[in-house]
Amino acid sequence: MVIFLKAGGELRTKLNPDVDFYTRRVETKEGQSLRDILIGIGINPAFVAFAYRDDKVTRLDYVPLDGEVITLQPPVSGG
Amino acid sequence: MANGLAGKTLRINLATGDIRRFPTDEALYRRWHGGRGITAKILYDEVPRDADPLGPKNIFIINAGIMSGCFIPAGSKVEFGAVSPLTNGPGDSNMGGHLGPALKFAGYDMVIFEDISPKPVYLFVDNDTVELRDATAYWGLKSLDCEKKLKEDLGEDFEIATIGPAGENGILFSCITHDFGRQAGRTGQGAVMGSKKLKAIAVRGNKSIQVHSLDSLRKQVTEIILRTQKHPNMVPWQKYGTAFFIQWSNANACIPAYNFQTTYYEDIDKIDGDQLVEKCLITHKACFGCWMNCGKYTKAVIPGKPEVHLEGPEYETGSLCGSNLGMKDINHVAYINWLLDNLGMDSMSGGGVIAFAMECFQRGLITEADIEGHTLKWGSVDDVEHFLDMVAYKRGIGDWFAGGSKRAAAKIGRGSEKFAMQAKGQEFSGYDGRWAPGMLLSYMTSDIGAHHNRSWTITVDMAEGRDTVEGRAKIVVYLQHIRPLFDTWCICRLFWGELDITPEEIVESLNHITGWGVSVAEVLRTSEMIWNLNRCHYIERNGGNGRSFDYPPARAWEDKIPSGPGMGKGLSLAQIDQMLDEYYAARGWDGKGNPTRALLEDLGLGYAADRLEKAGFLGDPIPGGIPPVRGEKYKPKAF
Repeated sequence: MVIFLKAGGELRTKLNPDVDFYTRRVETKEGQSLRDILIGIGINPAFVAFAYRDDKVTRLDYVPLDGEVITLQPPVSGG
Repeated sequence: MANGLAGKTLRINLATGDIRRFPTDEALYRRWHGGRGITAKILYDEVPRDADPLGPKNIFIINAGIMSGCFIPAGSKVEFGAVSPLTNGPGDSNMGGHLGPALKFAGYDMVIFEDISPKPVYLFVDNDTVELRDATAYWGLKSLDCEKKLKEDLGEDFEIATIGPAGENGILFSCITHDFGRQAGRTGQGAVMGSKKLKAIAVRGNKSIQVHSLDSLRKQVTEIILRTQKHPNMVPWQKYGTAFFIQWSNANACIPAYNFQTTYYEDIDKIDGDQLVEKCLITHKACFGCWMNCGKYTKAVIPGKPEVHLEGPEYETGSLCGSNLGMKDINHVAYINWLLDNLGMDSMSGGGVIAFAMECFQRGLITEADIEGHTLKWGSVDDVEHFLDMVAYKRGIGDWFAGGSKRAAAKIGRGSEKFAMQAKGQEFSGYDGRWAPGMLLSYMTSDIGAHHNRSWTITVDMAEGRDTVEGRAKIVVYLQHIRPLFDTWCICRLFWGELDITPEEIVESLNHITGWGVSVAEVLRTSEMIWNLNRCHYIERNGGNGRSFDYPPARAWEDKIPSGPGMGKGLSLAQIDQMLDEYYAARGWDGKGNPTRALLEDLGLGYAADRLEKAGFLGDPIPGGIPPVRGEKYKPKAF
């Protein structure tokens, strides 16, 4: 199964995009949560404030579907 | 002028009504870059060290910055500066919205107010017309109500900034409000305006601003616009703003709960970003020249209370007036935000002061008899509303809290100083530092009192180890140079700093606007120079070695985190001292926290060294000399 993760900032550096400037293609196993997928590619989930898919904020215990595109939002300080 | 400046500066004596216009000093901007830099310089040079911040000798400055209004994205900020009544040191506060650009479009880069008006006035600026107008009819109005009335009276196209009753009554953490929900919150700038009987500023302008290389700027900015529009984080920013970091902060044991007693809040699901969007959101709001529209225009609906509209709560207010007060309903958090905005109090310090009072009540240090028969229980929006009314109008013990939590603790005593969560008199931002040592150090050493905008290190602490302190100091120093540059240039950090625009690109824009031809290294030195000038000013005003002002309240090392993912964590006083030692060494200051002559002269501040020496607080020479470069950029490694 394949999903696509997008990120900017420091997270983008760690993500190591291979599709375009922001996006990495990740092969995953069915039933894996986003949290487990991140750990599997070497990203500590603590550095993801939330995920964003289908126009909605998504928690990291979400189990992605095949082909999904998910944006990772890094934490930033308030203004 | 083809350098991003509007061209004129106003200096207004409020006692005499004298309004002087003169050409903006380009050399001053070249050296100090505007915004926070120029306010620091003017305050240092002109405000006597024994001047009462609420007295006639304090100066109040509005500076529109060099980059704002220059048709770059998010060139929206304006900077206010005065000696802070809250910290008794140099103070500044920035604000988004539209006021800064409007001031420049009217032809003015800066307005400097001196002395005190004999009666309430507001500044009226309509291009070349500049007047001090009678504000008697507006005095006493709440901030948002006053802005609405001024727009009705003058026209919707005026940009208005107001103070509320808190500023009028000298509440030391009063803010300035604009655009129905943007604030210059920190350091009590609203109180300084109030002390000068300056109720509001109303500005309209339609002149143009010339930049040095318009074609180059246009080309560069077009590329940045197109690129950032495709940035993956743009849509989440547009939809949710910063409120969505509340869950993350809680999950990672950073969020303040119950006056920083703990860092995990069980009811976070009731006050998070999801709740804000679902229950309160009306529409999104943007500042001048920005499509990030991170502002959220919302409503608070509570049975038995009128429906109110506000901007927010964003992360800081959402945490400091949410989990920090034990609130269990997002409508209650939004309502408290509205109360603070309309009364004209900084919602960050406001949340901190309320929380401190609530803990005093929890511990029996203040009672119902002290609060006019009311309680001050965690989670009670009614109790907060009554308490804030007492503070804003200085009724009873409300007067004690009107000076912030540090002064209130001095009055209450009985160990309450330990949990007045502030540094140099200004309340902490919405992050607990006991398991984020760099963040605690950032609060302790901030030049304007605790403020995350100067330095924010939570992710650095997580990457480098939350239980260790080694090596954190030089990263804090670097952040304290780079982050305040946004307040110096009056552009928004959220757009320019969080969407993969590099420092080199920002400086390129600066150079296209100004023609200065500066480098990133040079602007960092300018920022370091401003930082050290503020340090010298603070030490002179407060008459002590710098180190004596840099400690956090004792909760920071005496109370381990009692619950949640951070349970048992906390720093020791020895670790806090170690961080300060490393910080001073990284800064080129001596062990007492005083800048040294070698450092100050390296930064072109020899005159500040002379003054510091005369005051008896010049730093001792450092064996081996000062570091050649102060601060180190963090290089992310393993996450």
